[in-house]
Amino acid sequence: MLKYVLNRVKSSLVILLVVSMITFFVLMIIPGNPAQLILGTDATAEAIEDLRIAMGLDRPYYQQYLGWLLDLLKFDLGTSYIYGEAVTSLIIRAIPVTFSIAVFAMLIATITALFFGILSAVKKDSIIDYFSRSIMQLGTAIPSFWIGMVFIVYFGLRLKWFPISGFVPISSSFAGFLKSIALPAIVLAIGETGTLLRIVRSSMLDSLKQDYMDAARIKGLNKWKIYMKYALRGALIAPVTIIGMQFAKLAGGTVVVETIFALPGIGRLVLTAVERRDIVLLQGLVMFITTTVIFITLMVDLLIMTINPRIKSVERGE
Amino acid sequence: MNETVVLKNLHIKDGKNTLVSNTSLTIEKGDIYGLVGESGSGKTLTAKAIINLLPEGLKFTADEINVAGKNILKASQNEVTMYIGKNAGYIPQNTVFFLHPMIKIKNQIADGYVHHMKRSKAEGLKISLQLLDMVGFENPESILNFYPWQLSGGMRQRVNIAMALMNNPAFIIADEPTTALDSTVQKQVMELFKKINGDTGISILLISHDLSLIKHYCLKIGVMYAGQIVESGYSKDIFENPKHPYTQLLIKMMPTMNIKKNEPIPEIKGFVPEKGRDSQGCLFKERCPFAMDVCGISVKEHNDSGHYYRCNLY
Ligand SMILES: Nc1ncnc2c1ncn2[C@@H]1O[C@H](COP(=O)(O)OP(=O)(O)OP(=O)(O)O)[C@@H](O)[C@H]1O
Ligand SMILES: [Mg+2]
Repeated sequence: MLKYVLNRVKSSLVILLVVSMITFFVLMIIPGNPAQLILGTDATAEAIEDLRIAMGLDRPYYQQYLGWLLDLLKFDLGTSYIYGEAVTSLIIRAIPVTFSIAVFAMLIATITALFFGILSAVKKDSIIDYFSRSIMQLGTAIPSFWIGMVFIVYFGLRLKWFPISGFVPISSSFAGFLKSIALPAIVLAIGETGTLLRIVRSSMLDSLKQDYMDAARIKGLNKWKIYMKYALRGALIAPVTIIGMQFAKLAGGTVVVETIFALPGIGRLVLTAVERRDIVLLQGLVMFITTTVIFITLMVDLLIMTINPRIKSVERGE
Repeated sequence: MNETVVLKNLHIKDGKNTLVSNTSLTIEKGDIYGLVGESGSGKTLTAKAIINLLPEGLKFTADEINVAGKNILKASQNEVTMYIGKNAGYIPQNTVFFLHPMIKIKNQIADGYVHHMKRSKAEGLKISLQLLDMVGFENPESILNFYPWQLSGGMRQRVNIAMALMNNPAFIIADEPTTALDSTVQKQVMELFKKINGDTGISILLISHDLSLIKHYCLKIGVMYAGQIVESGYSKDIFENPKHPYTQLLIKMMPTMNIKKNEPIPEIKGFVPEKGRDSQGCLFKERCPFAMDVCGISVKEHNDSGHYYRCNLY
């Protein structure tokens, strides 16, 4: 187990190194002089050149990269041109926003998908199954920006149940925090529930056909005990994998929803960095998102190892 | 009450398609009853109908299904589930996924016992240790801590046997219990059944392709063809004096080979028919060397003091 984790961490570091090179050099090639961007169009050529040298941008690319990489190891992602602030602190400030809505969205999506997915598999072709299948269709078909708008207009402006923009930190008011993330989380959840529900349903249907269900039935156990202990257990791997992927996607920032609800999260930071050509910020964000995704994937793989112990021994080469 | 199982006139359908028809069998207390037939002849479905385990989507009718003294056709679904769970055991054809692959043996073997006997899991595990010992494990405690896939096929099958015996049932079905095993293990498992049968007087329905195995272990047998029992009775009577041409052919080729799964029998041309099993005529007609015109229309049933066969030759 430990050996497996260490191996995975090793390969993750290699991936990160490769990603860091790609981001660094790709962003370097993009036209535009950062010094010019900072000083504006009025600045003299000399002033721009001085700043360029001060920023170390006159050095060869590989030297710049090594310098950046060394800083990265010290968790120093440089200073954003546009905010004039350390990229690390900008990201740290955005994390709670993005993670809160990602976690809540996935909680809502998971609970809904498990509930309807299990029921619709167990009661295949019943009313509840048709209902679940409509959820699948709708969830995947409706664009999240549209749902977001509708929610803002209806629940935010008309009913005034929820604030329509901004983020209230959990430390200042828990109720306020919940209210501020409720709408965006629901909007995101709607986008993910359909896919997840489909996976839960089909895995359950498959699991219900397995021989171990015969074994459970011949024991004469209670129906729901059979479903929850035997069928669900056999059906968890695919949904957990998907939940992990969905969570990783949301945790990397959700540009559309964060923009609609004016939430200062990772997605908005990415958008600003791209719009205003803040290369240092963008590099830092790409590294952060990559690390997050790799970390979540690793966690999911470990979780799946505990669900399906067989993978454990196969990976170990037993 | 001397019969553990009475099955009368079973029909199983998949929508409009008949899979099993006119099938009856009786298993006396303490007997090992052998059900033999080619792949697809309906052995597993017949067995599953007896223990209320038919796959979803299949419909059955029967005049009577009596297990250990209770006509389960007259009971509610919940009652049947409880009753069968308590009084019958099932040992599967395929051992790979019968035990749940993601759950340790100790967390699944005693479920039924705990449920039916209203005892604690610890007590259940105590019983399972005794049974695992009985089915020949030298170190039962360690088996409990394994996942099923960590065991060999023969070991898994012995765990299945122990699990089927947990509630001390009156009746177990062993559905080709040894097909997946190599020949030495096959012999061990079969001897184990014989021993359990001798020690506890449990009735066993033994399903197999292998006529020589059935001949060796069973007092009574039924020969299945295309979803019907075409001949049944005491093993001795059938082997000495087979009536149905199908049985005769099976016995003739017996010393040379067993019936292999999904392979046509070379000396009997053609395949087991999948369609038209609801015909009133003889289903073996197409492959029968003695087929007559009448065989397509109807078939005579005979019963010579317990030796049953359906054929127009007599
Ligand atoms: N769930 C099902 N739905 C539809 N048809 C089925 C189903 N299960 C079995 N059958 C069909 O019923 C027939 C009898 O199947 P059964 O499994 O009882 O055969 P068997 O005698 O046990 O064969 P084998 O020796 O291969 O185990 C076969 O033609 C099979 O295709
Ligand atoms: Mg079978």
